[in-house]
Amino acid sequence: MKRFRPTLSQLSRRTFLQATAALGGASALGLRGAHAQEPEKPAEIIVRAWGGSWVDSLKAGVSDGFTKMTGIAVRHDLTEDNEIQPKVWAAVAQNRVPPIHINWDTTTNATKSALRGVTEDLSDLPNLAHVTDLAKPAGLEGFPIVNTYGYVYVLAYRPAAFPDGPPKSWKDLLDPKFKGRLAFYNDGIGFHFPAQVAGGGKLEDIPSNMQPAWDFITKMKAQQPLLGEDPDFTTWFQNGEIDAACTISTNAREARKNGVEIEWVVPEEGAKFDTDGLWIPKGLPENELYWAKQYINHALTKEAQQVWLDGLGLPGVVPGLTPPKDLVDDPSYPTTEEDFQHLIRISSKVQVENESEWFSKFKAIMQG
Amino acid sequence: MQAARTAYPLKWRIMDALEGVAAAIWPARFRRATPYLMLLPAVLLVGLLVLGLIQIADASLRTLDTTTFQFSDDYSIANFRRALTEPLFLVVARRSLIAALIVTAVTLIFAFPYAYLMVRTASPGLRKFLLIALFLPFFIGQVVRAYGWLIILGNQGMVNEALGLVGVAPMRLIYNYPAVLFGLVQYMLPFAVLMLAPALTAIPEELEAAAGSLGANWVRTFIHVVLPLARPGFIGAGVVVLTLSLTDFAVPAILGGGSQDFVAIAIYDQFFRTSDQGLGATLALMLVALGSILVGIVFALFGAGTLAMGRSRA
Repeated sequence: MKRFRPTLSQLSRRTFLQATAALGGASALGLRGAHAQEPEKPAEIIVRAWGGSWVDSLKAGVSDGFTKMTGIAVRHDLTEDNEIQPKVWAAVAQNRVPPIHINWDTTTNATKSALRGVTEDLSDLPNLAHVTDLAKPAGLEGFPIVNTYGYVYVLAYRPAAFPDGPPKSWKDLLDPKFKGRLAFYNDGIGFHFPAQVAGGGKLEDIPSNMQPAWDFITKMKAQQPLLGEDPDFTTWFQNGEIDAACTISTNAREARKNGVEIEWVVPEEGAKFDTDGLWIPKGLPENELYWAKQYINHALTKEAQQVWLDGLGLPGVVPGLTPPKDLVDDPSYPTTEEDFQHLIRISSKVQVENESEWFSKFKAIMQG
Repeated sequence: MQAARTAYPLKWRIMDALEGVAAAIWPARFRRATPYLMLLPAVLLVGLLVLGLIQIADASLRTLDTTTFQFSDDYSIANFRRALTEPLFLVVARRSLIAALIVTAVTLIFAFPYAYLMVRTASPGLRKFLLIALFLPFFIGQVVRAYGWLIILGNQGMVNEALGLVGVAPMRLIYNYPAVLFGLVQYMLPFAVLMLAPALTAIPEELEAAAGSLGANWVRTFIHVVLPLARPGFIGAGVVVLTLSLTDFAVPAILGGGSQDFVAIAIYDQFFRTSDQGLGATLALMLVALGSILVGIVFALFGAGTLAMGRSRA
């Protein structure tokens, strides 16, 4: 009896994915015959990533394992997340195949793409059944993005510059001795919300009244801080240019790995907690879409997350991960309800809708 | 008698064939239009730029809806209103303009003696050295050069280490406005020298000798003979340095420490950081307009200098 074998274009996407996900699961269990039913494998898939220790960690934790499992090479495209975005948007708008298969992106940036409607729905990934709530993008329908870990914008500092002990408050940075010795992101990301608290405001007033944040940032401007991007912070700490910074803990940890004496804290006003995620742009051929989804599904396995996030020093979205030894009980690696109480989390939707205005305000203060 | 094999060589045959092809494509009756044909590559190039500008102009009139991250179908001048009223853009535009003017003036002051020495020196060795020193930076690139200054002028850089040897504590030499101006002058110097050198070469040395023989000292000769005759070079170099400085991105981004943004950085931010391509396009158009107005003023006041290829009224 001949069985009807539909072509890829005849399959509905959901039916196709359900079938192939089941087959993928079967193959993972060692049922080699299942491979015959998998869609054609592309020679490679392209994953946009951040460079340095970020891409090294992704490669070691996810990409190498994926290649070993499927035989598909993974190419990491190190185009900046902000710069790949218009290229992907243009490709989708013009019905072209997008330049990447998977975008490793900040959830805020990814949310913009989701709102624009250029992301594939990832709700049918089998491994989503085993993830924590952190994986779900807040305020969005379904899973246009899968959050893969969280991170904290800590107050990183050189202990030598704080002889009386670690800074307790963001206000400690207003000490005149730190003039010219501080650093923030050049759009203020990570600092807007703690500044709101440090300025005497309330988080509930975000975004309607952020004047306390702008007032506090204006005071901080008098300290003539340096403003930069992720790699700058590591470099500035290494070169002795700064004593303290509001930065993602991964950058501070990277500087420490490179021999710089550096510590970090979550000050009493709190620190911003955010997430990064993976998403797939629309417009990929069906077989490539399938394997891109398999990549993300693999990134959600405990084994992949453990290695990937050990490298980044960040908490993942799969229960039971073991923190790296140097980050046990560290405030930048929140695992318990109590840990999260000290962190500030604002929905991606609010951030996306107001980000442009906040960036402009921050820049207007700092550039003035 | 058999003709020699070399009487009509292969090269000639090829040339005949090519001429035949050219005549078929562009018959002799079109000859009067040939000069215009020469313009075709330039017209194509400028045409592409104009097409791009039209697209940018279209984008500048559309506003971003941050609930869908789509651009409006309707046209409005909201982006222009923002660009002209938000303090950030005014600060950045003022900084860029002032920097461009300062850098142009300082670069011309430094470039002139360099170009003069390079043109007038009797020593071939010195001329070669100056030429190599002039072209070497072109091979390095702007970004690498700016990072080079970070290494030299940073807190743990060579300059601060040298100062440390004489007991001076490390000081912040970069990540400020003077550092950006310094980096721009260093970047622009070769451009200015290259624009000045032809104008100085065109000044006959005999004129300077004649002024000297009539009793003018070096200063008077310089002020009354060399400077006026070098004006086309100054104008050409000034226009090039002014426009390049006004639109520069890398030097303020690298040496400014994030707090010395120029308009180009503000444009980048709108395109890539806030995804507001409409506002980015507006700022880009306004930058083009500002640069064009400045160049127009210079041309109106002083002519096109060396950029007019000897046809200016200078």
